[in-house]
Amino acid sequence: MAVINRVNFKIGGPAGSGVATVGLLFAKCLQRAGLNVFGTNDYPSLIKGGHNTYMVAASPEPVYSIVDGFDILIALDQLTASLHSHELTHKGALIYDSDKVKGGWPTDRPDIMCIGAPLTQMAAQAGGEIMFNTVALGASMGIMQLDFQILEGMMRKIWARKGEAVVQANIAAAKAGYDFSKEALREPFKVKIEFVKREKTMFINGNEASVLGAVRAGCKFVAEYPMSPSSAILHLMAGHEREYGIIVKQTEDEIAAANMIAGAAFAGVRAMTATSGGGFSLMVEALGNMGIAEIPCVIFESQRAGPSTGLPTYTEQADLQFVLHASQGEFPRVVIAPGDPQECYIEAINAFNIAELVQTPVIVLLDKFLSESSMTIEDVRRIPVQIDRGKLLSDEQMAAASGFKRYAITEDGISPRCLPGQRNGIHVCSSYEHDETGFTSEAPDVRVAMINKRARKLAAIPQPIIAPSFAGASEEEAQILLVCWGSTKMPMLEALKLLGRSGIKARMMHIRYASPFPARAVLSALMKAKNTLIFEGNSEAQMRSLILQKTGYYIEKTCLRYDGRPFTPEEICEAAKKAIERKMI
Amino acid sequence: MVTVSELNVPHMPQWCPGCGDFGILISLKGAIAKLGLNPHEVVVVSGIGCSGKLPHYIKTYGYEGIHGRALPAATGIHLANHKLTTIVVGGDGDGYGIGMGHFIHTMRRNFDMTYIVHDNEIYGLTTGQTSPTTKKGVKTKSTPFGSIDTEVNPPLLALAAGATFVARGFSGDIPHLTELIAKGIAHRGIAFIDVFQPCVTYRKDLPYELYQKKIYKLEAEGHNPSDWEAALKKARETDRWPIGVFYQEQKPIYTDEIPFISESPLAKHDISKIDISKFVEEFF
Repeated sequence: MAVINRVNFKIGGPAGSGVATVGLLFAKCLQRAGLNVFGTNDYPSLIKGGHNTYMVAASPEPVYSIVDGFDILIALDQLTASLHSHELTHKGALIYDSDKVKGGWPTDRPDIMCIGAPLTQMAAQAGGEIMFNTVALGASMGIMQLDFQILEGMMRKIWARKGEAVVQANIAAAKAGYDFSKEALREPFKVKIEFVKREKTMFINGNEASVLGAVRAGCKFVAEYPMSPSSAILHLMAGHEREYGIIVKQTEDEIAAANMIAGAAFAGVRAMTATSGGGFSLMVEALGNMGIAEIPCVIFESQRAGPSTGLPTYTEQADLQFVLHASQGEFPRVVIAPGDPQECYIEAINAFNIAELVQTPVIVLLDKFLSESSMTIEDVRRIPVQIDRGKLLSDEQMAAASGFKRYAITEDGISPRCLPGQRNGIHVCSSYEHDETGFTSEAPDVRVAMINKRARKLAAIPQPIIAPSFAGASEEEAQILLVCWGSTKMPMLEALKLLGRSGIKARMMHIRYASPFPARAVLSALMKAKNTLIFEGNSEAQMRSLILQKTGYYIEKTCLRYDGRPFTPEEICEAAKKAIERKMI
Repeated sequence: MVTVSELNVPHMPQWCPGCGDFGILISLKGAIAKLGLNPHEVVVVSGIGCSGKLPHYIKTYGYEGIHGRALPAATGIHLANHKLTTIVVGGDGDGYGIGMGHFIHTMRRNFDMTYIVHDNEIYGLTTGQTSPTTKKGVKTKSTPFGSIDTEVNPPLLALAAGATFVARGFSGDIPHLTELIAKGIAHRGIAFIDVFQPCVTYRKDLPYELYQKKIYKLEAEGHNPSDWEAALKKARETDRWPIGVFYQEQKPIYTDEIPFISESPLAKHDISKIDISKFVEEFF
């Protein structure tokens, strides 16, 4: 009996051979078949050559990470066959380019179906060797008996802009691969894809969802300097510049980017930049400027493995304490670490609203794994959105104003804001300490009043927004509380399923807001837990330190990963099991 | 319409008596009054240094950012609302030292902004170290045996970077500087004005009298400001110091090439109900 609609897929080859394109198209085809799909990549920092892979998991249920081995492996080169064939599940299929791959799969696995296809030759016949990856895609769909119309529809959508000839050639290439692999099978493949009718879903990664959220939130100005893994944010924004009326500026460096968005935000537009840890390092001085001058800006920081150049295309969660403390002096900042693409969308909108609500910089902390991992989510237009510009005064309000003080001391610390161009609001937005009018002041009483005023502001952010989220077993029945933050949520949700299957009752606490920190909710959960284990993608357990600092609670057990790779659900599951066993001894 | 006195603020500038910054402040106020600008539609942007304090001494909107970063901040302000008059002031350390990268890139972008540099060939606020325009051989606190570096040539750099208005003024000649700043603000495109600004505290070797002796006016000697090659030659003169407009040309400005702000500036765009349907569909 075939497995219906549940498949893990991997494709590997040198950079520049279209590995990611085929992976994405594979995922999109299954998305269009009505499945839930997760896709992620692994690649080194180079343009051509090397070894890239793209992995996809599809299932009738929501998927947040890859679990177990792969049912299909496409090897575009010998290295992929040698490195990854052993990852194939029982009766898994290895599809390879018979012109380039001559062996290398494990001899002790007679169960593997090896499908050698002359991908390049078939592509040439269909219209061009360049389409060899389309042939490979067709081959993988053929063995799963996916309705070819879905694949054809996908080709039409993807290649529409290149004209009908390109569309037709790609359809022919896909069909060639599709038919070849179907015929090459000595027995039916173990996985079959059957179309599931459902509302249209989106297949989107963390970077894309962040951009979509920012656009929805009314971001009008983007200044950015390219840096992996945030550059896709610049590209996507630039591509939609005219459609949504957003000025997108590639700057000379990250210092310029940060100062440009500060200027733009002062002048009244919602403004953002995106970068990684290295670029954020250059933005640090401007961050303090936004803090003291109370300028609402949003900075997306997609972490990669540091320090310095580090492992530029690999993931890490080691910038948490850095972004929390970056820049000299003390000022309020908001630090949000969404856990999956849907949260990227929601938190991007929250980030812009909060920035204007509390008039201070907001940092959205992503990482390479979240930035570049895609999953199916429901149509985000169903999520209700409010645009709240806080205490920004209108032209009419300012026309009637007299004695306006930009930095007026108020009970919640937030001062009414006006914009240059408005009457009766003339002031200087200053990086110096200043009095209520904005004029430079070094008087001790003014200094203390201003520090206190700014420090009060974060309390205006509603508690439900910053609360941690929970999943899995209830507080009462959970044997263990698994604490995580940021993108670790994704493998954690899959680990909860694995633990459930082993009869273990585990509960996840996912912390999204590092500042302001939801201390009460976190402490309450920790106090009630029978056993606690924290998972972080860094070597110093930075969130554990933050929890200790904010709640006084020290989590003894950690599971830390800092080899540049994201957690796997399996290792989370194993670590949880061990922690439970240790507790029982 | 505004008069010079309406641009005054209730506090005294915290500059040394006799500082060249006063002349620049007076000239800037005069230029704004001469052009009849509305003070609430003007933003004066600065970095840090003696010059950085200027926005506090003029009754327009102001933005005093961080050291060396006035130009990117001003760029953000200008692109967010290009209907405002954006004027940037800074020192030679701010603009040609820490901010040199931004200087070159801003000159090549032809934003409709004005950039005035208070060039006193010294770091004043940090009490007298060498600056990028300090001439080779000059002794300062950080170069007690004479600066080894060759000084930068700001007008030459601006010309090479593609600036469409390049000028130099002298803070000791207020009528001339007022006229020059007014021309710069009126210029449609990036206007760069380097200003000889005597530092009476740390450059006693470079007094007003020396400037008066060395300078001459380009317009008085028939210089043609539309001749780029001639401008280059004038910018390289060292025995006599030219002031006035080196070069001016008309070119499309940066914001001309952004179609969606032709009707109203970005800051006026409604963001309350942005429809992302088409964008969402890209992910179906």
